Amino acid sequence: MIGTIDISWPGMLAAYCLLLIPLAMLLWQGVSILGRVAIAAVRMTVQLLFVGLYLQFVFNLDNAWLNCAWLLVMILVADVSILRHCRLRVRCFGLSLFVALILGTGVPLLYFTMLILRRPQILEARTLIPIGGMILGNCLRADIIGIRHFYDTIKRDSRTFEYTLAQGAQLREAIQPYLREAFHNAVSPTIATMMTIGLVSLPGMMTGVILGGQPPVTAIKYQVAIMIAIFTGTAIAMPCAILMSLKRGFHASGPLRKDVFTD
Amino acid sequence: MKDVMLQISDLTVHAGGKQILKNFSLEVGDGEQVLVTAPSGTGKSTLLRCVLGFLTPQGGSIALQGVSVNDQSIWSLRHRMSYVAQEPVLGVGLVRDILTRPFDYHANRELRHNLERVPDLLRQLRLPQEIAEQQIDSLSGGEKQRIALIAALLLDRPLLLLDEITASLDKDSAEAVFTALATREGQTILAVGHHANALPKADRIEMLSVNHDAAGDAP
Repeated sequence: MIGTIDISWPGMLAAYCLLLIPLAMLLWQGVSILGRVAIAAVRMTVQLLFVGLYLQFVFNLDNAWLNCAWLLVMILVADVSILRHCRLRVRCFGLSLFVALILGTGVPLLYFTMLILRRPQILEARTLIPIGGMILGNCLRADIIGIRHFYDTIKRDSRTFEYTLAQGAQLREAIQPYLREAFHNAVSPTIATMMTIGLVSLPGMMTGVILGGQPPVTAIKYQVAIMIAIFTGTAIAMPCAILMSLKRGFHASGPLRKDVFTD
Repeated sequence: MKDVMLQISDLTVHAGGKQILKNFSLEVGDGEQVLVTAPSGTGKSTLLRCVLGFLTPQGGSIALQGVSVNDQSIWSLRHRMSYVAQEPVLGVGLVRDILTRPFDYHANRELRHNLERVPDLLRQLRLPQEIAEQQIDSLSGGEKQRIALIAALLLDRPLLLLDEITASLDKDSAEAVFTALATREGQTILAVGHHANALPKADRIEMLSVNHDAAGDAP
């Protein structure tokens, strides 16, 4: 086993210099997003710097309550971000989605730390936060695809949806085809990733473990376990988010509420 | 005297800042076939949407077989009515699937044997038997309306709500629809249309008073 390969400060400067190539390409092709690229690079640096400093503090302290609180903050940010991307009102769906994300992240995360890693302290910072973040990040992507598809399709097909209700369907029966399709769309990217993993690119976690000095076999075990945890998380979070949102998303008599959309 | 199937009292509906219906009242007896007529954009479809519980009126009340229509009761009351829209949007798939789908719902499962009546109904409504194997999207407006009517009739609901159901039909097809409806003994119908020939065999025709504030039929 070798130690982690650190990046020196001149090395970091070299990393920023690499940005000159895409900036030059954009300039050459007349794509006028140079300002956005610059802002994105600065934001990325500042955000990661703050997160890094805070994580350093959290890791040093390694307090179970603080670790959980940090995870909840991450879930809250994901919650608002998902709803903004879906153009849905946070006051209508914020709480139900928050609970769904806690379930979608918490269940595979605890399973991962307790039964796969078998850590003596299940709420330790070095596993809870990075593994939780990976699962949550994928739940976010799946939820944006699934929830947006679900509500946009019912909004577009409102007359068909009401016809289904008029034929005697209960709300759960009427939403079933839309939920099924949304679920399929939400998990499809994760399945596609699982199908091509290792062939198209080396996944992030595997790369991290290898760069951290571990043998490739260890990296593979981590990657397989995290992919299954991610898939489990997305499969829990998306349907739970939709099912728990029904009360706020639909009138008590069945039709979709139009005022849940922000546009 | 017949029992009252549908009682609409002083119904008032606002939508989009406009008044669509104002103090509209109507009583439909059990087995009665009633046509409500009015020009376009005067709230006919809105009236049916209120009965189906898709719109909450700002005033007045609706009762079906003595049970008041509200957010709780509407789920069971929908099992006592079926609806054919002016331009039915029936979903996607084969006609056979469209007709079968409602019987997958818990409330209709025991009626699945009614599907045996499909060939007869197709014949009555002058539709070819092969239409069952066609995609619903490939049908004309008139064919879709008749398929929607078949779907509604298969559910054997006491109250049939019909919104301009012959709007897209030629004279012969419309006649076939009216004959099929007339042969359903004891079937209560509330139909809406522009004029009296929307349901020529109606027991009663009611005029929906024109509300000049109304801007559209389907808010």
